[in-house]
Amino acid sequence: MPSILLVDDETAITDNLAPFLVRAGFEVVVAGDGDAALARIADSAPSLVVLDVLMPGRDGRSVLREVRQGGGTVPIILLTQIGESGERAMALEEGADDYLNKPFDPHELVARIRAVLRRGTPPAGRSLTAAQRLRSGSLVLDRTSQRVFRDDAEVVLTPRATTLLAFLMSHPGETVSRERLLEEVWGWSFHTSTRTVDTRVAELRRVVEVDSADPQLVVTVPGEGYRFVGTVEAG
Amino acid sequence: MARTVGWVVAVLPLVAGAVLAWLGQTGRLPGERYDVGALPGDWALAAGGAVTAVAVLVLLVATVRDRRWGRRLRDRTAEAAQDRRLLLSRLDHELKNPLTAMRAATANVAAGSDPAQAAAVRTIEEQVLRLSRLTTDLRKIADIESARLDRRPVDLADLIEEMVDVARDLPGAAERELALDLPRAPWPLPPVPGDADLLSLAVANLLDNALKYTPPGGRVEVRAREAAGSVVVEVADTGQGIAPDELPQVWEEMYRSPSARAVPGSGLGLPLVRAVVERHGGHVTADSRVGEGTVVRLSLPV
Repeated sequence: MPSILLVDDETAITDNLAPFLVRAGFEVVVAGDGDAALARIADSAPSLVVLDVLMPGRDGRSVLREVRQGGGTVPIILLTQIGESGERAMALEEGADDYLNKPFDPHELVARIRAVLRRGTPPAGRSLTAAQRLRSGSLVLDRTSQRVFRDDAEVVLTPRATTLLAFLMSHPGETVSRERLLEEVWGWSFHTSTRTVDTRVAELRRVVEVDSADPQLVVTVPGEGYRFVGTVEAG
Repeated sequence: MARTVGWVVAVLPLVAGAVLAWLGQTGRLPGERYDVGALPGDWALAAGGAVTAVAVLVLLVATVRDRRWGRRLRDRTAEAAQDRRLLLSRLDHELKNPLTAMRAATANVAAGSDPAQAAAVRTIEEQVLRLSRLTTDLRKIADIESARLDRRPVDLADLIEEMVDVARDLPGAAERELALDLPRAPWPLPPVPGDADLLSLAVANLLDNALKYTPPGGRVEVRAREAAGSVVVEVADTGQGIAPDELPQVWEEMYRSPSARAVPGSGLGLPLVRAVVERHGGHVTADSRVGEGTVVRLSLPV
């Protein structure tokens, strides 16, 4: 049974989230601050850490940095308070495997935990969300320069389509809903016009697929969303 | 300080005159009398000149003062906007932890066999979700005000056509007439530099509103035209309209007209539209007559 270390200074959250995670089939250890979190990571070796960012004393980002600098590869999901994309990008750069904005649906947290656990720890110790380059067959995406290459030739995508591809490639095999893509890639959660996502996916397919009418990389999951089906490696 | 200097300068000529007069009386200045004579016309010219000089001085002072007041007003407005943003972000922040805890708590409550209890749990779940959405959407408006724009030439005609297509699928759209009028002659709309996704969001919101507040059988018209270096997009409806005293407030976050309470909404649609348009350097206006309808105009610089 995978064990989860749940770190948050708000007992109202841990008191309710811990039993929920237990019922979802996880073993749960709770820590109330950053230092306790580091101690639990060292002594109980959890399969995954759910880490609140804003805590008094040592905060979540400091814990994340400490773990990654010490060579720790335990998957970490950050619970962010701040919805700003800059903050989110920073979290991923510093080595978080995923993040969730508060307030979140607890079922969504369970789905994210399962997805990150399924992804496993990459051999190089660098998670896909933090990798500079993502490669799937002949398709290469360079995060730093925001450029995409196919068969070593650069292809032109709008910035939004590039971000969308980066998100899908760093979550291979996961079905991602249009609503979540809107929030992750566009940075908003308004319920109007999820067609925006479809338009960008169509652009993406025209460029990265051999035959955009018969997509092999970015597939539609009817009634659910989109999924990147290729194998993705970092570097 | 500047004011004191001003008064000193103003009184200085009188003091100088008084000193010279005293020097004259005590015989320390040359004693001959100065007789000045002039024609009435020359006196009139001199008097006119003196009055104009005073008037020009007063106007100059007034201009400087107006400028200073204008600057102060702008500073105050910017400060107020900053304060409002700060308040919203603090409120958002303080609500997040309690809402997270409540969502986890309701997820733990097993819906028992008692239907009344099941209904109560469902209500709490729905209302917590509604509060969560509200805080997220408020945050997003603040984000739009400060986020970096993905700016490139946008074909507004294409964008509007697409959004109208989306709107035709909205619930209730079939019972309302939805007309689109885009110029083709003498030339089509020029491209507008902007973020296509944000602009779609703005147009979609306006269409959503127009359909929501227009009774079945009513009409919604979407128009766009080029005017003096801008593209003006209009969404007009034959809906219930907005009272004149409420019109300025519809652009404020979470304002909901008492007469609009029956229609579900968060009061964040129009503020979002305004944030998007102003982020593009444009502006928004609305005209409305109660019982006749409303027209909302977006003006986007080309």
